[in-house]
Amino acid sequence: MKKNNYIYLYNDNFLSLLTLIKTLWQNKIIPANIKNSNYQQNLFDAVINLSLKEDDQLIKDIQKYLSKEILKTMFYVYLSENPQKELILFYFFGYSVKYKNKVFYYRNITVIDKVLKICKYVSNESHKLKGFVRFRELQNKVLYAEIAPSNNVLILLSQHFKNRLKNEFWIIKDVNRGILSIYDKKEFYLVSEENVNVATLNSTKEELVEELWQSFYKTIGIKERKNDRCRQNFMPKKYWKYILEVSDEL
Amino acid sequence: MNLKEKLTILADSAKYDASCSSSGSNRKGNGFGNTAISGICHSFASDGRCISLLKILMTNCCIYDCKYCLNRRSNNVKRALFTPEEVCQITVNFYKRNYIEGLFLSSGIIKSPDYTMNLLIETIALLRHKYHFGGYIHAKAIPGASAYLLKKLGLLVDRLSANIELPTESGLKLLAPNKNSNNITKIMGYVKENRSSKFVPAGQSTQMIIGATQETDYDIMTKSSMMYQNFNLKRVFYSAYIPVNKDKLLPSITIPPLAREHRLYQADFLLRFYKFKVEDLISQDNPHFNLLLDPKADYALRHLDKFPKEVNTCSYQELLEVPGIGVVSAKRIISSRKYFSLTFQDLKKMGIVLKRAKYFITCRGRYFINPTLFNKSFIEKNLVLEENTQNNLKKEQLSLFS
Repeated sequence: MKKNNYIYLYNDNFLSLLTLIKTLWQNKIIPANIKNSNYQQNLFDAVINLSLKEDDQLIKDIQKYLSKEILKTMFYVYLSENPQKELILFYFFGYSVKYKNKVFYYRNITVIDKVLKICKYVSNESHKLKGFVRFRELQNKVLYAEIAPSNNVLILLSQHFKNRLKNEFWIIKDVNRGILSIYDKKEFYLVSEENVNVATLNSTKEELVEELWQSFYKTIGIKERKNDRCRQNFMPKKYWKYILEVSDEL
Repeated sequence: MNLKEKLTILADSAKYDASCSSSGSNRKGNGFGNTAISGICHSFASDGRCISLLKILMTNCCIYDCKYCLNRRSNNVKRALFTPEEVCQITVNFYKRNYIEGLFLSSGIIKSPDYTMNLLIETIALLRHKYHFGGYIHAKAIPGASAYLLKKLGLLVDRLSANIELPTESGLKLLAPNKNSNNITKIMGYVKENRSSKFVPAGQSTQMIIGATQETDYDIMTKSSMMYQNFNLKRVFYSAYIPVNKDKLLPSITIPPLAREHRLYQADFLLRFYKFKVEDLISQDNPHFNLLLDPKADYALRHLDKFPKEVNTCSYQELLEVPGIGVVSAKRIISSRKYFSLTFQDLKKMGIVLKRAKYFITCRGRYFINPTLFNKSFIEKNLVLEENTQNNLKKEQLSLFS
């Protein structure tokens, strides 16, 4: 293995990153870094774009020769905003090839420990948001929600709501990233906000339902047990802006 | 009375029920809604408790006169009654907007147990069949209702519960003279016998009020342990008594015993997941938990001769006895140490709470601090100090010192 000073670029998707990582290992190259091709380049960065053809077979191969769990873990890390995630995944891939599914037990190896922590951070946030997403009904009966997650979990949430609200039209917008997930009762599509225009006026019934929910929320807490600290631990303030029942407490 | 007012009255009466879990069921659903095996919390109330279900009573009218209950017959409170259609409308509209994971439907006893049970069944059947609702439903089984109604209800819901209310028979006689503990255990027995993927798939739970009568922690834990064994309960919930009524039979406290409740929950987890027995934790001679220390640390200090444990060689069960090591950490240790020998640094990476565990373990034969400090008074002092600076002891506990 030889380390070089180049930053290798991949196209803005998971498969492209995996293809690049695999190719680097095959050619025994340790890159200085790996970056999304749209990253903010520095004047002195030496970048290489190998323009690899994305290898569709690779996903299946990883599941077959490594494991489903390794693939899932790598995908979750990819969804994080960790600035070093590509390089971390590069090293993790190497360990995965070496240890197969036992890779998860080697927490004494710093990179593996990091991967597991990032993965947990992403899956925790995704799980929390499955509860915290608040839809409102628009005039055309479409359910519409906005979120501002720390990680790019929109795709994970979409999968969840595709199963749960199968017979509804819904849209979830990631405000931080400017992406919308649009579901048409069959499949969901991730679209950049520049390409769509959603009229977000509420349906006539919406006000009453929201009022009912607000009063339920206020009623259900027991005064004698009031505990703001505990509430905030479970429901971090960074999400409050988009959670109807607490947004007015900000 | 408008819908909002009704909802307020009937949620206000339901809020003392502690259970809000939505776990244990894995329904795919065929249209509207499904369930998540792990359960999902949708919000957290001002008291820090999770909100995952729309927790309401069908009605707060009640023919009973339980002393501790806000809705007892002799109280002069505003009464309300939902129609089945109203409950469905609220549930569906809340679920669609992802406010909730499903419905928790309980009720005061109106007319008779059978009549009340029929009302619950009618409502939930409407929700399942007309609205094709596939989300989570937890219903209260009404003690004293006929078995065939229990069967009908069980086929519609994910979880059933019947509250034991008070830990002892004498307590029940004193404060809830219309309730009969036989009726409650009958329900539990029936659910246990008939449970399947179609009938109460998420299992049953129950709840006890803590601090309304004179029972000890030992009484409570013995009761819980018995119920876990006999009825395969998923959970026993403990609810610190909150005075809502004045009655000469009720204790005159103003602050609910939250610290005690907390200790009971900790001990409950030790019974269910750590294979502890009640007698390991407390005894008839020493029938209350130490409020300053969690029950596991308390146990470890009383059995200091069994410690320190070498994490690289001791058994899974021994790891579980170490304060600061939970089920997940213990499993991680067992699987990792096959591949390399663990150091304190590695334990930290695995999420072990070293500030508590460090007193009770060695790594590769090394003790974390000066080995001469391995004595009861030193460790106890530090653990108590640590727990109190954590600030997780609530107002009530602090008032012990003031």
